[in-house]
Amino acid sequence: MNFDFSDDQKMLADHARQFLGETCTFDRLREFVASGEDYDRALWQQMVELGWPGLSVPEAAGGLGLGVLELCLLSEEIGRVLAPVPFFSTVCQAVPLLEQAGGEVADSLLARIAAGTCTVAVANPDQGHSLELGGNSCLDGALAPVAWLHCADVLLVTASETDGTAVLLSVELDQPGVQRERLAAQVLDSVSAWGAAHFDKALTTVLARGELVVALNHKLRLRSAVLLAFEQLGGADSACTMARDYSLERYTFGRQIGGYQAIKHKLADVRVAIELARSNAYYGAWALYTDSPELPRAAALARISGTETFTLAAEENLQVHGGIGYTWEANCHFYYQRARLLAVAVGGPDQWAAELLESIR
Amino acid sequence: MDFNDSPEEAAFRQEVKTWLAENAQAYREPLPLGPGDIRIAEMGREWQKIKARGGYAAISWPTEAGGRGATPIEEVIFAEEENRYHVPVGPFVGIGVGLAVPTIRAHGTPEQIEQFAHPTLMGDILWCQLFSEPAAGSDLAAVRTRAQRDGDDWVVNGQKVWTSWAHTADWGILLARTDPEQVKHKGLTFFLLDMRTPGIDVRPIRSISGESEFNEVFLTDVRIPDRCRLGEVGAGWGVAMTTLMNERANSTGESLLLPDVSSLVRLARERGLAEKNQRELAALYAREQGLKYFQARQLTALSRGEQLGPMSVISKLVFANVLQDGSAMGLDMLGLEAAFLATEDHRVTRFQYGYQWAAALRIAGGADEILKNQIAERELGLPGEIRADKGVPFSQLPVGR
Repeated sequence: MNFDFSDDQKMLADHARQFLGETCTFDRLREFVASGEDYDRALWQQMVELGWPGLSVPEAAGGLGLGVLELCLLSEEIGRVLAPVPFFSTVCQAVPLLEQAGGEVADSLLARIAAGTCTVAVANPDQGHSLELGGNSCLDGALAPVAWLHCADVLLVTASETDGTAVLLSVELDQPGVQRERLAAQVLDSVSAWGAAHFDKALTTVLARGELVVALNHKLRLRSAVLLAFEQLGGADSACTMARDYSLERYTFGRQIGGYQAIKHKLADVRVAIELARSNAYYGAWALYTDSPELPRAAALARISGTETFTLAAEENLQVHGGIGYTWEANCHFYYQRARLLAVAVGGPDQWAAELLESIR
Repeated sequence: MDFNDSPEEAAFRQEVKTWLAENAQAYREPLPLGPGDIRIAEMGREWQKIKARGGYAAISWPTEAGGRGATPIEEVIFAEEENRYHVPVGPFVGIGVGLAVPTIRAHGTPEQIEQFAHPTLMGDILWCQLFSEPAAGSDLAAVRTRAQRDGDDWVVNGQKVWTSWAHTADWGILLARTDPEQVKHKGLTFFLLDMRTPGIDVRPIRSISGESEFNEVFLTDVRIPDRCRLGEVGAGWGVAMTTLMNERANSTGESLLLPDVSSLVRLARERGLAEKNQRELAALYAREQGLKYFQARQLTALSRGEQLGPMSVISKLVFANVLQDGSAMGLDMLGLEAAFLATEDHRVTRFQYGYQWAAALRIAGGADEILKNQIAERELGLPGEIRADKGVPFSQLPVGR
């Protein structure tokens, strides 16, 4: 039995954890929110220097040529610190999509991503929109909300040709036919940033067409579910550690609150949920890595466990902090709000529950 | 990352498969016994002898003791392969091989090891564990059963409870109080008790399911010769810890008699209730499957020769709770027409039995609350419980019911 990551992969994760732990602190997140910046460009630049955008880009295209297992571990580490960078869309979604679509334009985009000169926003294929593809592959209509759409260099989006054929498009966002804006400051999760775009005869490139697009999007959804589950796992683990640390610092009635069973058992429940979520996430990673026919079931399991666990950990972290946890300064809100965002990204719990049950015969 | 055996593990598995194919043919079909039939213990002796001839009777014991010096992962592989047959294995043999003899080997005299190790290996001695008492469960060190010195003997009086297989056991391992004036953990001594000694009264307990899986054991002026004391007088707690350390965390009682979440989902679907309950069903299934892949991660650790950490207790914790929640949901779906009535329909009996057994499982072998304390303290590093009995002689501790 060898159901675990390799030592090399774990070493990569350890390095990432150390780097992100030192750089992407709560103070930095608060500064980021206050600055109104599109995304944390300095942090992204450091990630570029570490080769992360090109992690799974083939070496021939300038990447590191590593696989999806490494991506899983990095996603967990990024989830731990809630890094405000377009990592998920660019690295976890766009890179495999471009690789599988193939072709000259896709290849040159991969090279740009690996070189760190291109960030990508990816529209959820299930998302309703009013986009219409006219002659000469010109795009009209509006799209919102998409993460990082206001600041990314390229958008990958699925649209329909006039006869209804699905096409996967790449759109260079810095062109006269595209008007973009950052959506108004959010009530929930101000560390993430969402954009809207209006297209008026925008120039696009068709990367794939017809059945291939359906297959690509299907795979994209499942891969996104697994990688997001790792992000949720990282967030849950961080929130649990934060609650544990606080319960050792805070005294009531003459002793540490972490000594009361009400707190001990609450945190034990969180820790158990994390262990189960980690195990399901690993199963998802295995199914992705081996391209197993079990992938739909594995992705749904990882996703459902991930959502439930991050929610539990984030809520109980704030609860353990008591009144102070409700303040902006205490930082509990970062996890509390991110848990809700990740719960509905790439399909909500109801949808994944239905798919999971569907996989049981 | 894969679910495969290492080359060494695969070779061992093949060796075991070959041996079983030659020696376990008689166990191709289910044993002709109903649930709860104690004759399975006698059948267990026979299978144990066959295993002893093949060198598989106690594979975790060191080779000089007649074992194979098997690694934990090899134990798991043997159990997986053995369980492909309907072999009579269970605690009636396991208590001796897995708990009693390892404790005797760690703390016993050469004579004691000589007397008990080989006959246990051969299935000639079956054991029971006389630890829990009506007032000593989670707080095991609070046992009140009293052993008093009388010449070369000890005279034992008291009551043990939840003793599985006491009626089929030849010997028992017994924890008793020899000095009530010492603090709780220090006044205990460990004994080996011949279950044919006069004064032992084994009475089955009628459990909530109406069955009698467990016994009470009443001890009245039971004489134990001092040579059957294991370890020093007053050192019983340390000896008992050796026994408890050998208790396998994953003995969850999983069996064909219990429902799984997939069967619950199929039931829900048939009754048109799947959609209405989909979030709850999916969450339950994710817990069940998460446990399955957690165990794959644990086996991976064993396969690498690593020790299992404090989280290994979740196997029983999660299993018991998923069983309770899933069985309750299944019975609710079956409804008034089916849930409560005696039936031959195994699908119904599994939910009925599962719901009852889950209640026992949440308490036995470490109650939920104790396991959560362990996770909180050992995994998360939170403070231990405040002990009101610290430094107080046992005889002066307040006694409740």
